[in-house]
Amino acid sequence: MSIRHHIGDDTLMAYVNGTLAESLSVVVATHLAICPKCRKSAELMEDMAGLLLMETETASLSAAEEAMAETIPVGVLQEDRILDRPKKTQGYSNTGVPMPLADRMPAALDDIPWRTLIPGISHYPLPRTGSSKEKGTLRLLKIAPGKTMPEHSHTGQELTLILRGSYIDDLGRFQAGDLADLDSDTLHQPVADTAEDCICLIATNAPLKFSGFFSRLLQPVFGI
Amino acid sequence: MTSPDGSRQGRAGTRALPEDLDRDLMAVGLEQDPTAFRRLFADLAPRLKFFLIKGGMIESAAEDVLQETMMKVWRKAGLFDSSKASASTWVYTIARNVRIDRLRKENRPEPDPEDPCYVSEAPETGEQAVSRKQDRERIQKAMALLPPEQMTIIKMSFFDEKSHGEIAETLDIPLGTVKSRIRLAFGKIRAELEVL
Repeated sequence: MSIRHHIGDDTLMAYVNGTLAESLSVVVATHLAICPKCRKSAELMEDMAGLLLMETETASLSAAEEAMAETIPVGVLQEDRILDRPKKTQGYSNTGVPMPLADRMPAALDDIPWRTLIPGISHYPLPRTGSSKEKGTLRLLKIAPGKTMPEHSHTGQELTLILRGSYIDDLGRFQAGDLADLDSDTLHQPVADTAEDCICLIATNAPLKFSGFFSRLLQPVFGI
Repeated sequence: MTSPDGSRQGRAGTRALPEDLDRDLMAVGLEQDPTAFRRLFADLAPRLKFFLIKGGMIESAAEDVLQETMMKVWRKAGLFDSSKASASTWVYTIARNVRIDRLRKENRPEPDPEDPCYVSEAPETGEQAVSRKQDRERIQKAMALLPPEQMTIIKMSFFDEKSHGEIAETLDIPLGTVKSRIRLAFGKIRAELEVL
């Protein structure tokens, strides 16, 4: 897989420091699983955080905090020490997609119970586990060959990871593994451009805005 | 160098060398060495607390996060691999995850190298494989070259627990400016790392 479209550094930075919305973080983590280049960037950011941590000022510790240095080594039982990386016993992909996404899928990618939105375009909303006050959506979208998503822009950020097939829009051609990192100011209209269905994972942190009159009628259909 | 009571000596100031931290963390992992843990704690806890309080946490919450973080450091030290990250980076990622768990009651989605779908990196050539120590020094040099307005935003994102939107509000600049400064900063750091 040769990936040509990567995570924007600003988005990756928010993922690394933990301030990126959960829906967007799932897409980022799924891309990271298949993209050594972006993993390297994430490591660079963590290295920087570690270096900056050692350059920060120090806060004075309370007596209770000082005591932790003594109590933790005697208080933690030997059997509670973690010597191996915890192994996941299930969920390893018979789903055909990386873990951060597979964890949230009800079935393998081939068996998703798609719901038709408009002819040629169907979706499947995925559950989110985090706090409900976070706005945003996470779903799979399937575009049939030659079909076009209605033109839309975003009130927030939209991350799209191509899982199968490909599409073309104003920003270029996006193939399996590519990630489109779109801001609120981008207007786009993806077209599935091969004989294969284009299946993507899409997360937003705010509702989409459809721009054409007929497209606006779709707003309630897309329900996001 | 350490004295018989276990404290560091032979250096001015309190800042430990990254190699000292790495060695102590490995001693905790391999030998459950409580003296090494005390040294790590003395080096890291006051800095972690500073960053938690600065990020807007109240004193009691910071104490909880600090406790949970340092417990995890003790319990998980056996997983630390000094060829992959420095001790301070490793501890930062633990503190960050503790903070996220508290904030959102969720597990942070992360790639898993055991996943059959995981794509590993092509093996590094001898030229690319530089030591962690060299890496650290190169990154530090590259960071030192960043303009202050870019550095400010990077520090705020790492330590103030603020989203880019909140940083934009705090600094009274557009969100697009926050994002573009981050992109510029990393573009510059990558370019520096290539020539250094």
